[in-house]
Amino acid sequence: MTLSMTTSRRLVKGVGNVLLLLMLLWTAIPFYWMVATSLKPSKEIYGYEATLIPQNPTLANYATILWDTPYMLFLRNSVTVAVASTLLSIIAATLGAYAIARLNFPGRALMARGLVVTYLVPGSLLFIPLFALFSSLRLTDSLTGLTLAYLGADVPFCTWLLLGYFRSVPVELEEAALVDGCNRISALIRIVLPLALPAIVVVIFFSFTRAWNEFLYAHVFTSTNQARTITTGLANFMNEDVFFWGPLMASTIISAILPVAMFLILQRGVVQGLTLGGVKG
Amino acid sequence: MATSTPVSIPIPSSRPALSWQERVQRFLLRDSTLGYLFLFPALLIVLGLVAYPFVNAVLMTFQEKTAGAPGRFIGLANYRELLANPVFWQTVWNMLVYTGLGVGLKFCIGLSMALVLNQERFCNNLFRSFLLIPWAIPTLISALNWRWIYDDASGLINNVLVRFNLIEETISWLSDPNLAMFSVIAVVVWQGTPFFTMAFLAGLQAIPRELYEAAEIDGASILQQFWYITIARLRPIFITAVMLSTIWTSSGIQFVYILTNGGPADRTQIFPMLSFTYALGGAQRLGMGATVSLFFFPVLVIFIFFLTRRMLRERGEE
Repeated sequence: MTLSMTTSRRLVKGVGNVLLLLMLLWTAIPFYWMVATSLKPSKEIYGYEATLIPQNPTLANYATILWDTPYMLFLRNSVTVAVASTLLSIIAATLGAYAIARLNFPGRALMARGLVVTYLVPGSLLFIPLFALFSSLRLTDSLTGLTLAYLGADVPFCTWLLLGYFRSVPVELEEAALVDGCNRISALIRIVLPLALPAIVVVIFFSFTRAWNEFLYAHVFTSTNQARTITTGLANFMNEDVFFWGPLMASTIISAILPVAMFLILQRGVVQGLTLGGVKG
Repeated sequence: MATSTPVSIPIPSSRPALSWQERVQRFLLRDSTLGYLFLFPALLIVLGLVAYPFVNAVLMTFQEKTAGAPGRFIGLANYRELLANPVFWQTVWNMLVYTGLGVGLKFCIGLSMALVLNQERFCNNLFRSFLLIPWAIPTLISALNWRWIYDDASGLINNVLVRFNLIEETISWLSDPNLAMFSVIAVVVWQGTPFFTMAFLAGLQAIPRELYEAAEIDGASILQQFWYITIARLRPIFITAVMLSTIWTSSGIQFVYILTNGGPADRTQIFPMLSFTYALGGAQRLGMGATVSLFFFPVLVIFIFFLTRRMLRERGEE
């Protein structure tokens, strides 16, 4: 006997609820461990007195990481690099995307293709030649060098993303503005940019979080705390065998707040951008 | 999507001779001039920070080179050395397991979660947002967190297993040669599944309800509906997501770097890590490091090529 429609529907729903519960646990447990560890005194972290739930919650680990380590410096470096690379890539990407979307000149189709290819070339292929290049230009161990390195990935991606949005802005609006005596630059600033604002916000998210989260370049191109960002700074704590998991977990929570908050606010736009505009949600 | 026929600036033709300022201005505002002008910064970045380094990487594979010193041409010696190294072959195998299993599991779990989250349910949006968070956390942070979860003496897993008397001795999740790779893959899956969930969920929500209604009237079972409507409709997104994830998974260094450093005995060694070790681990052999990366490049090229075509086609740029 085959199942009736309602029974099989109920069955599917039930299986779905169970799977969801499992997945929520699988996702939540590592977070729990992060938060719990960050709130424990060290006695509860190691050894036979270790606990699963903090018995005497304390913020001491947060104080340690913020005041007794160079973490604040890493934080400042991360903010600097993320803001600088975001601003620069938005400027370059807006101009580039507008040119490809609206201006008629030879080579623009080739540029569109080149953008996707360069975006897809991963950092782990480029870090060695970039390291050699930056070494010879004395750009290692500097926030300038790191910002430049991030632009290499940001600009192609942001240009591609903006290109899609610019194309969806009706060209008639601009034509009208051009007839009314606007030139290209003022049309871009006064007509296209305001309409593409949602896309610009998504682009800001991607550039900012990429710089914030990036590890390989940051790790390879810096050698002193003066230029270290959060990711490489924390990895370095481990390399130096300073295994202090309490403060380290406190630092991971502080470091994750900003990208997670940005992501939760911008979720919808992020999903579309993720697959390079390939998913129409 | 609106068609984008480029418009030209209407210029009144009856105007008499122009001053030189006007001529300069007109030249600058011409489509082709302005186009190249606008593209210049992006082009400079792409050429200087992607194209040039890439060509340089290819050249480096034929050199014995250290940082800050000029390279010495040594022909194919790097390639020969690499191919003769058993670690390299171990790494090739690891890459297949790491990428194949990692992407495969992310795909399956991601698809299940997308289907589950597409059902109607109390607080569904909240669950969805929560399940996506691992993707938004900096990868390195997740790696550190998991290293601590796996910790031999005081990590969460061993802590729980010992507490409830499930094991006699703690398990070395990251240094047992038979376990290490799977422990690393579990973290890769934890972090990367939300990407698939997000992409598939967006695809599911774009399937018109009428298709299911029509199928139901025609007497199609839930399984048939699933196969002929849901899966069929999602196929383009499957391909895009799998290709993107394969590129990202295979080229990411952070999990292996933090969790195992390629060990034990190269059992979790992957190309990006091996390349990093050659180039920056002590001897700074940039040439060898570049050679490792480049061996891995042809595989990526195939993915990059097909993905580029898909992207361009979907956007109508071709």
